[in-house]
Order: sequence, then structure tokens, then C-alpha cells
Amino acid sequence: MRTIYNRFRIGLTPQRVLSVVFLIALGYLVIFPLFLMAKETFIVHPLERFQIPGSTIGDLTLSHWIRSFVSENSFTFFYRPLLNTLQIAFGLSILALLIGGTLAWLVVRTDIPMKNVITNAAIIPYIMPSWTLALAWIALFKNERIGGDQGIFTALTGISTPDWFAYGLFPITITLALHYFPFGFMLIGGALRNIDAQLEESAELLGASRVATLRRIVIPLVLPAIFSTFLLTFSRGLGTFGTPAFLGGPVREFVLSTSLYANLIGGRPGIGYLAALAMIVLGVLVLYMDHKIIGTRRSYVTISGKGARAGLVALGRWRWPIASILMGSILAVIVVPLGALAIDTFMLRPGLYSWENFTWHYWVGEASLSVGLGTGEPGILRNPELMSALGNTMKLAVVVALITGILGVLVGYAIVRMRGSWVSQALDQLSFLPYLMPSIALGAIFLAMFAVPRWPFPSLHGTFTLLVIACVVSYLPYAVKAGVSAIRQIGPELEEAAIMTGASWWTRMYRVIIPIQKSTYFSGLLLPFISVTRELSLLILLVTPTAQLATTITLRYTDRGWYPYTNGMVLLLVVIVVTCTIMSRRLMGTNIAKGLGG
Amino acid sequence: MPDIVLDSISRTYGGSVKAVHDLTLTVPDGSFTTLLGPSGCGKTTTLRMIAGLDMPTSGTIYIGDQLAFSLERGRSLPPAKRNLGLVFQSYALWPHLTVAKNITFGLEVQRVDKIETARRLEEVATALQIDNLLSRYTSELSGGQQQRVAIARVLVMRPATLLLDEPLSNLDATLRMDMRVELKRLHKETGATIIYVTHDQLEALTMSTHIALMQSGELQQFAPPLEIYARPANKLAAEFLGNPRINLLDGVIASGCVVCEGLQLTLSPEIAVTEGEKITVGLRAEELRLHPTSSPSWAEAHVTTALPTGSDWYYHIKMNSKTLIVRQNDTPNLQPGDVVYVEAIPNTLKLFDSNGCALIVSSA
Ligand SMILES: Nc1ncnc2c1ncn2[C@@H]1O[C@H](COP(=O)(O)OP(=O)(O)O)[C@@H](O)[C@H]1O
Ligand SMILES: [Mg+2]
Repeated sequence: MRTIYNRFRIGLTPQRVLSVVFLIALGYLVIFPLFLMAKETFIVHPLERFQIPGSTIGDLTLSHWIRSFVSENSFTFFYRPLLNTLQIAFGLSILALLIGGTLAWLVVRTDIPMKNVITNAAIIPYIMPSWTLALAWIALFKNERIGGDQGIFTALTGISTPDWFAYGLFPITITLALHYFPFGFMLIGGALRNIDAQLEESAELLGASRVATLRRIVIPLVLPAIFSTFLLTFSRGLGTFGTPAFLGGPVREFVLSTSLYANLIGGRPGIGYLAALAMIVLGVLVLYMDHKIIGTRRSYVTISGKGARAGLVALGRWRWPIASILMGSILAVIVVPLGALAIDTFMLRPGLYSWENFTWHYWVGEASLSVGLGTGEPGILRNPELMSALGNTMKLAVVVALITGILGVLVGYAIVRMRGSWVSQALDQLSFLPYLMPSIALGAIFLAMFAVPRWPFPSLHGTFTLLVIACVVSYLPYAVKAGVSAIRQIGPELEEAAIMTGASWWTRMYRVIIPIQKSTYFSGLLLPFISVTRELSLLILLVTPTAQLATTITLRYTDRGWYPYTNGMVLLLVVIVVTCTIMSRRLMGTNIAKGLGG
Repeated sequence: MPDIVLDSISRTYGGSVKAVHDLTLTVPDGSFTTLLGPSGCGKTTTLRMIAGLDMPTSGTIYIGDQLAFSLERGRSLPPAKRNLGLVFQSYALWPHLTVAKNITFGLEVQRVDKIETARRLEEVATALQIDNLLSRYTSELSGGQQQRVAIARVLVMRPATLLLDEPLSNLDATLRMDMRVELKRLHKETGATIIYVTHDQLEALTMSTHIALMQSGELQQFAPPLEIYARPANKLAAEFLGNPRINLLDGVIASGCVVCEGLQLTLSPEIAVTEGEKITVGLRAEELRLHPTSSPSWAEAHVTTALPTGSDWYYHIKMNSKTLIVRQNDTPNLQPGDVVYVEAIPNTLKLFDSNGCALIVSSA
């Protein structure tokens, strides 16, 4: 007994203390809310008692499950959003694969010029908030029937866009594919880069045509990367919120995430939380497939990294035409949408594209009920509501980046230093768990959890703290992944050498562990910073009208049809995010592309 | 500074891997003690337990008069309080600090004042001839230079005991020779106790005052180098030390003699053996002599390979089915195929019973 106690006391190392603390904290913030949310699907909430005869608030009930899955309304409540979700996720993944894969092949395996430019430009669509393109699509293609006034396309051509083209599943799929194709570009590009060119050459020597070589040799070798890309974009597609909200909302076409949102704010939390559960289950299924398919594939695909990369396919006289088309398309995906958004902010009367209609009103104008939209809102840059939302976003981004960055290092430290023990594994898996939860579901979880006081927290409903907690938990998987790989590169001996001199744990952290991997940790800060700046789905349920964020207020302005303000805000966010990325790349040599791999 | 005492310490990993088992050892004050053994035998683990970076699963460690570790008494002295310095096998230099900062880090942590710090830095830098490297980063140094910095970093703290984990294994052959000499000089000049880990028997033989020979986590023998060489405690010890490898021959006791493969050795009467007992004899290469003519107690063999080294000759000879290695320094050049007669003239008798334990036990 005494030895057990002594063993415990002597063995109380910082990493052990840390891992136990984190284990408890993560259990509380990740596992517990899951149970809580499952419980909510069996409980009668205030507004629901009118739909469930003879019930009182807090009763246990199966009716949410029945209404969602086996009632005459279940098609509207559940199956239709589910089918829409799957359809979008599937379509966008295929498209993202085709675009990203083609681009990757051209850049890696051919002698196309301007490779560097293309590579860098191809990442930008991913850095912008995912729904930037959705708003741009509206600015370009909206029609008068649904959007109130015509878009730029109609103004230029006189052709009125059909509803299916302007809104709903079609544009959702397209715009998401354009946002996510960089995944395919990077993953498949990485795989292609690792293929020994000799494999291809020998096939061609044996008389295989170029197409046959591509089909029989190259594609099988990059198949794992193709699967990875597909599953990664598919799972993102399952959880995405902004784009379907902007493009599906006006035609009441719901996906699981928007249906979850609509049900939660519409007083039907039971059904809403069921949608959240469904999304989590789908997420887990995708991950399981990833393990099943990729896990076995990887083992027999042998890729040699040392092969000469001499065998670039010569594009001949198509070199420049193809490069121009590529650059043109990439620019089109970046410049045209941003340009369309920008133009919209300068048009006094929406839908009227002429120099007479040009105005600075939406940027710097006084509040007025008669000018332009007549909203009574001052221009963006002098609008206290919008600027305070932007301020909140920046504040949140900084706080979250700092906390997440520090946690990433500490949890990573605990995981690496405790390697081989069950605590290390449990921490590793627990910190990964939020990755599986679509962020809107995660938001819903925290909404449910902290609406009431929960020891040790008071009720956090509508507080900044709650936003911070949600963001930190949501980005933890990335931060921990970065932390683990950074700490793993610092051998334990570097720390032990400091222990030998009598340096305290704290001294070791800030004089040895952290300085050695400065730039890695800095990228670890950058990713959450950027993510917060453009985060919508995670926070949309958690903000209150009095303390908005740049992104959430954008959604509210869209709901009112105040597009010039919305578009201006998005442009501001894009500028902030892209500037931060470029600056940090310049200053610290960090590379956001590294953090994307998922 | 008195001895370092390890009292039956064990270290088990994950409940089953016995890295060190029941190790009892007293490292004499001021000695150059080498932990010698094949890779994976628990040397590093032992060193880390002495340093306090790892904790024994059971057992007690004293460093001088201080109880450094005891589970029963709930004591584990922090590494920095043990007054010892550890040079890691990987050197573990901090890549983000200059050489000077690497060396003074510990002094800063201990809040030694600036003047004293500068003085000590200069002192060790001069002693280790790295004073021209102080402003460099460690990635800009050669392996040998890195090693000197690693040693300087430890010496600047003036530890009573220096722990070195395979310090020469990352260096090339000539540099290794120089460093051996330098480490011996260091030992003399600082007067510190050195505990040195290596798997290289030659290094151990040439440098140590004491060798602790380990195998599979257990101590095989603890004695001065020549003592182990002359009187190995068991077959393992006999085989591990000496180059070329010792010749082991199976034999039986017959009327006060050992007879193996026709070769006869006379036994002194005080050795306790029974008639007919099966034993193993260890004969080092220099303890065999080859003759062109026969004699009753010699065995016939033929030369299979001749390896002249300049100063002497090594012969591989085949005696019945057994291959032996012999070193000669005065025999005329023999050719493969030559028939020779082998005489055994052991400096010390190395006899092992059927368990591999020596029948003549080392006195130290
Ligand atoms: N942290 C550890 N976890 C599990 N096994 C270990 C650990 N450290 C060492 N071992 C095992 O203990 C044995 C001794 O290791 P070590 O002391 O490093 O050997 P040496 O330094 O003599 O080469 C080896 O079998 C090794 O695999
Ligand atoms: Mg070792």
C-alpha cells in the first residue's frame, strides 16, 4: 500500500498530471455533450408540447424519432434533407476530384509552364470562406422571381436565369466543388509526385499509349489519394452549412445542416438534434470507410520516392494554350466572384449595373431610409453594428488562436511523452473526436449543454466564453495533430538535458520545447485564427443578436436581402484572411497547405 | 565524494520487458567505470536510473551518502540534485541556441552570476578546445565538435560524476582514438567519477579502471579490465572481451588433466573438479602455440588461413572439426594446409562448468 502510494507520489511527472487533466476536460467537453444531445432527442422541449398532445416539458418521448423517421412528415423533416445532403456531398466530391486531379496531373506530370503560380493560386479558393462563392453566385446569377432583382449575368445578357440554376442543389454543388478542389489538387499532386517515373516510361516503352498508361498505371497508383480526397470532401460536404443556407434557403431546399438550424430556431430542437446525430453517424461511417478502403489499399501500393522525375509529358504546342486556360479558370474562380461581390457593393440600386448607379454609400454612407435599399443602415465602414461584429470576430480569432495553439502544444506534449500508455491513446482519440462532428452539430451540442448552469460554469448562453469553448474544441483536432508532430520531432533527450541542469518544467517549455519549433507553433496559431475569421456554421447557433460576429451578421443581412452589406463584409473577411496567410508565409515561412491534409 | 551504490535495482517496461534485472553494483569514487555489453542489454536504462531520468521498478540507489532512490522510503532525488552530468548518446544539443548558450544554459538556470558564468565558460571551452566555436549554432558543427560541446555543457556544472552514453559511437575511427585519450586525460584532470557506457570491448579495456559487464539486463561480472580478461566469471564474459574471440573447447577431466580434442592441460590441485566431469576450456589466441613436431600433450591440426598483420600472425587452424584462432609472433610463416601441433600455455586457466560458470572465480 505504502509502495503504491510512493510510486504514485514519485511518478507525478508534469506529463502525467497534464494528461489526466486533459483527459477529464476533454471527456467533459466532448463525450458528455454527445450523451446530452442524444438525450435531448427523447425529451419534450417548451414549444414541442403543443405538437405532442398531453405532454409536459421535460417528459420522455419517442415522438421526435417517430416524426423524423416514420411519420407522413418525415420526408420533409428528415429524408429529403438527407437525400439532398448525400447528393450534394457526392456531386461535389466527384467534381472536386475531377478538377483537382486534372490540375494535379498537369502540374506534376507535364511540362506546363507557370507551375508555381498555378500551385499557389489553386489554394486560394480554399482559403476564402466556403460561402464566398455562394454569395458571388447569387450576385452573378440571381433572378428577379426569387432574388428580388436581377444578377450581373442577367443584366449583361438579358437572359433570365432559371430557378434551378440560380438556387438549390445545382449551384450548391458547383460552388462547394470550387471551394474544395484544392484538397484533390494537393493530395493527388502529392501522390503523383511520389510515383517513380520509370513505371510510366516502361509502360510506354512496352507500347502502351499515353491514355492507356494513365489508366492502367498512374490511376491505380494514385487510387488511395483519390479515395482520400473523395472521403475528405464528402465528409466536408456532409457538414457544410453556409453555402446551402445562402443558396438553398431562398428556395426552401434543405440539407441536414440547414434543417438542423431551421428546426432549432423554429422551436423543434428534438428533431434538430436528431439531424445532428444523423450527421455525426454519417461522419463516423465515412471515417470507417476511409480506414477500411485506404487502410488496406495503402499496404500493397508500393510507391518509390526515389525515382527520377525526368519523364514529364510534353504538351507540345498545347503547352501555353492549356496553361492559359488553366490560369484563366483559376482566376475566374477567384477574381470573377470577388469582382462580382465588389461590384454589388458599389451599385446604389441593386441589379442596375451602370456608372450612374455607382455609389460609395454601402461602404461609407450615412444611415438613410431613402437612399438605395433604404435600410436605415450606415455604410459598412461606419456601421457600428457591423464593425463591432468584425471586432468581435477578431477578438475571438485571437483568443481562440492563442488558447488552441497552447492547448495543441500541451496536449501534443502529453500524448507524445506518455506514448505507449492508454492515457496517451485515449487523449489522442478524444482530441480527434470533434473532427467527426459537423461543426453545426457541435454548435448545437454546446447550445444544449450550456443553456443551463453546469458545474463549474454558470449558464454560458450567449456569452463570449461559450464561443471560445466551441471554437477551441472544434479546432482541437488540427491543433493537437500539429502539436504531436512538432513535439515528436523534439527528442525527449533535448528536454532531459534541460532536466539534468535543474530546469523546471515551465523553463523547459519556454526555453527549449517551444523555441525549437517556433514556426510550427506559429502555423498552429494561424490555422485557428483563419478558421475563426470565416467560421459560420459552428457559431451561428451560439451567437445572440446583441453580440454578433462578422460571419453570423452576414447571414442575417442576407436573410433581409441586404446583399451590398453582406458582400462587403465577405470581401473584408477575404482580405483579412488572405493577407494573414500571405504575411505569415512571408514572415515565418509557414504553409497553410500543410494544415489542410485532414 | 563517496561511491555510487546500486542495490538490486530492476527496471521493467510495460510489465514484461525486463530491461535491467536485480543489478547490484558499487561504483568506486573516482573510478572510470564502464558499463559494457551488447546493444539492448540495459546499459542506457541503468545510466538513466542513476541520472534520475528513469525510475527503477524496485531497488535502491545511493549517490555518496545520499539516498537517491528508494520506492519503500518514497524518495526520488531530482536529477539536478544528484550532482552528476549526463552526456547523451545523441548529444542532445539544443539546436536553437549557440554553443555558448548551450554551455551556459545550466548556469543560468542555477542563477550563477554573470562573471562566474563567463569564467567557467571560458575554462571549459579552453579545456575542450572549442573556444573558437562559441558563437556558432550546433548544426554548424562536425560530429566531434558537437561531442566536445556536449561534454563541455556537462562539465561546466562541475559534477562529481560524469555519465557518458556511448559517446564515441557516432565518431569515425581516428577521431575515436583521439577522444579516448582525451577522455582519459579528462578523467585524470577533473578527478570526477566517470560512468561510461559502451558496447565496444576494446574501448572498455583500454579506458576503464573497472568494467561492469552486462548481458540481458543482468550484471555478469564487475572487475578491473585485465581481471575480467584474465579471469572471466563465465563463458559470456570470456567471449565478450578480447579480440580475436576466445577459443572455447569442450573437454573432460581425466586424471588431474583437462583433455579436449587431443590437447592436454595440467590442472593445479586446488581446483575442485571431479573425474570425468565435462567442462569447457577457454584459450585466448595468444595462449596457443604452434609447433612443427608432435608431443604427447599437443594436438594435431592444420592451418586453414594465415593472416599476417605485420607485427604478428593470426592463423585459423582446424583441430578435428573445431576451428581455432591462434596468434603467433615468432613462428616462421606457415601456409594453409600445413600440419601443425598445438600446445596450450594458458596465462590463466579459464575453465567453465556445464552452466557456463567459471571454476576459478575472479578474486576482485
Ligand atoms: N521506454 C522503453 N519502453 C520499453 N522498452 C524499453 C524502453 N527503453 C528500453 N527498453 C528495452 O529495454 C532493453 C534495454 O534497453 P537499453 O537500456 O536502451 O539497452 P542498451 O543501452 O544496453 O542498448 C531493450 O530491450 C529495450 O528494448
Ligand atoms: Mg543504449
